[in-house]
Amino acid sequence: MSFVDFLSLGPLITLSAAGVATMLMVAAWRNHRIIYSCTLIAFIMAMMAVIPAIKYIPHTYPPLLVIDEFSLFNTGLILVAGFIILLLSFNYFEEREERKEEYYILLILATIGALVLVVSRHFMALFLGLEILSISLYGLIAYLRARERSDEAGIKYLMLAALSSAFLLFGMALVYAFTGHMDFPGIGAALRQAGYLPVSVMAGFGLMLIGVGFKLGIVPFHMWAPDIYEGAPLPVAAFIATISKGAILVLLIRFYQDIHGNDYPMLWWMVAIIAVASMFAGNWLALTQQNIKRILAYSSIAHMGYILVAFLSGVQTGLEALAFYLVAYFITSIGAFGVVIVMSSSLQDAETIADYKGLFWRYPWVATVFTAMLLSLAGIPLTAGFIGKFYVVMAGVNGHQWFLLFMLVINSVIGLYYYIRLVAVMFAVPANGEQTTVVPALPIAGNITLVILTILLIGLGVYPTAMMQLIQQMMRILV
Amino acid sequence: MIGPAFYIAAAIAVLATIMVITRYNIMHALLYLVVSLLAVAVVLYLYGAPFMAALEVIVYAGAIMVLLIFFVMMLNLGKESAEQEKLWLKPRIWIFPSLLCIILLGELVFLVLQNHQPAAEVKIVDPRAVGMALFGPYILAVELAGMLLMAGIVGAYHLGRQKEKTLHRFLENNEL
Repeated sequence: MSFVDFLSLGPLITLSAAGVATMLMVAAWRNHRIIYSCTLIAFIMAMMAVIPAIKYIPHTYPPLLVIDEFSLFNTGLILVAGFIILLLSFNYFEEREERKEEYYILLILATIGALVLVVSRHFMALFLGLEILSISLYGLIAYLRARERSDEAGIKYLMLAALSSAFLLFGMALVYAFTGHMDFPGIGAALRQAGYLPVSVMAGFGLMLIGVGFKLGIVPFHMWAPDIYEGAPLPVAAFIATISKGAILVLLIRFYQDIHGNDYPMLWWMVAIIAVASMFAGNWLALTQQNIKRILAYSSIAHMGYILVAFLSGVQTGLEALAFYLVAYFITSIGAFGVVIVMSSSLQDAETIADYKGLFWRYPWVATVFTAMLLSLAGIPLTAGFIGKFYVVMAGVNGHQWFLLFMLVINSVIGLYYYIRLVAVMFAVPANGEQTTVVPALPIAGNITLVILTILLIGLGVYPTAMMQLIQQMMRILV
Repeated sequence: MIGPAFYIAAAIAVLATIMVITRYNIMHALLYLVVSLLAVAVVLYLYGAPFMAALEVIVYAGAIMVLLIFFVMMLNLGKESAEQEKLWLKPRIWIFPSLLCIILLGELVFLVLQNHQPAAEVKIVDPRAVGMALFGPYILAVELAGMLLMAGIVGAYHLGRQKEKTLHRFLENNEL
């Protein structure tokens, strides 16, 4: 490896070193606060390691990895999201678990997996990244063993992730058998040369889509999502909803672009059907839920559908919209989970809608933040979610995807209902003598994090130009 | 010659794997799993990867299976386990996996003795080439695999540890 390789892979190497270091520290002496601070420092160092890497883009580490504007932007996004989830984690685990140190090792490792996915341009890096991410997540999902649903969630994820990995591997084998390449550009070139898409490669892509779709939680591979969001510790659920899905999405885009996916209408239709099904299933199933975690799970399924619409528009604007939507979605999702984390007591997570009844009159600040997050999920103006959705619609119009746009609009209206219902519950005046079951913890670090997220959310909603310019610059290289 | 040899080995692999997932007793399933892995090793050997075939036998059929069997046996302590093991050793249980193994062995011996040239489309990959690839361009992949193992170990350590504790508490409650 050359010096430039080291600099370009700086964030990845920093986090890997931090993972080993924290493991050794846990082996020597357990102290929650120290491990927590070290992990925070590691994330900050990894974020700073992004800066020297900018100078050398685009840089390829053949045959496995590629570091360009797109991957570096998403590396930064994932690291910031991981850092925020980390800030929300300390209090949550301090109150709940006797052995909390391993959580940080697993969180670092899961983030490494996501970073590998973002920079990979080769099947081998893809699979290793995906497996690092999933195997860390098994441990993280089942982390709070004392809780009744955590085992169930962990085992469910283990089974389904193993199954989806098998699909993914078989798909890769089929693609490799025809093209003779495992790196994405090589596959694209081989397919171009062949001039058509043979059945075996088509089947290979289909099988790979199953593997990837499982991780994205899109219909019909979404069954795991609500149960796992419900059983997993809240910060882990936030991690799955944002970092895990975001990294896979970035990978999907890179693969699709490298194999010139737009040349093959069959591929387009496969993704389009999945996108429409995800929007409908996610929104319909969320309507009747009484559990906040399950609502967020179904809402994230629907949001993946919206993102796929941008992806399918087939124009430059679509990719920009996708990147912007991802940023908005990260902020909003982590914010919404952050509110649930802050509201939860050490005995019980605040997960039923009843726990939020009249919240505005008890904790006006928390209620305001939650309202902002929900409105952003629904796509109401002045929030990042609105600009994201607007951008997606613009991309759809540019690409003349009227059918997909129509579906998106219908679903936005359905989605409004359950977001607004939650807001209405928070503003309802509680009857006299009504006791709430959960006493919120309201840690200071969590509150500050939520304020920062809200400022980001409104900031992006009111002044999105800076972020848009950054994204436009970055996406130019992809097409 | 490669055709029939492949089909026999592949058929054994599929058959053994079906037996793995339909057994109720974990030890029986493990026996068939060993056979299935051996069959895959023969397929790898046929397709010009003798090193991979050897690794498959040594690592999967050898080390990992032995570990699994040890764990299963260690978990079943007590008087009943001895009787249980006696049950496992009935000919009805081991005769079919052994039969499959003998077919595989016969096939392998036949292939080795045949002293033929490799078929034109098969390119033999020797251990040296594997090592050069792993520690050359794919060195990062090897290191990432290390991270993967670390995630597995840390996760298993945490979850296993917790389980021990709940068992302990359960016993304490029983004493009261």
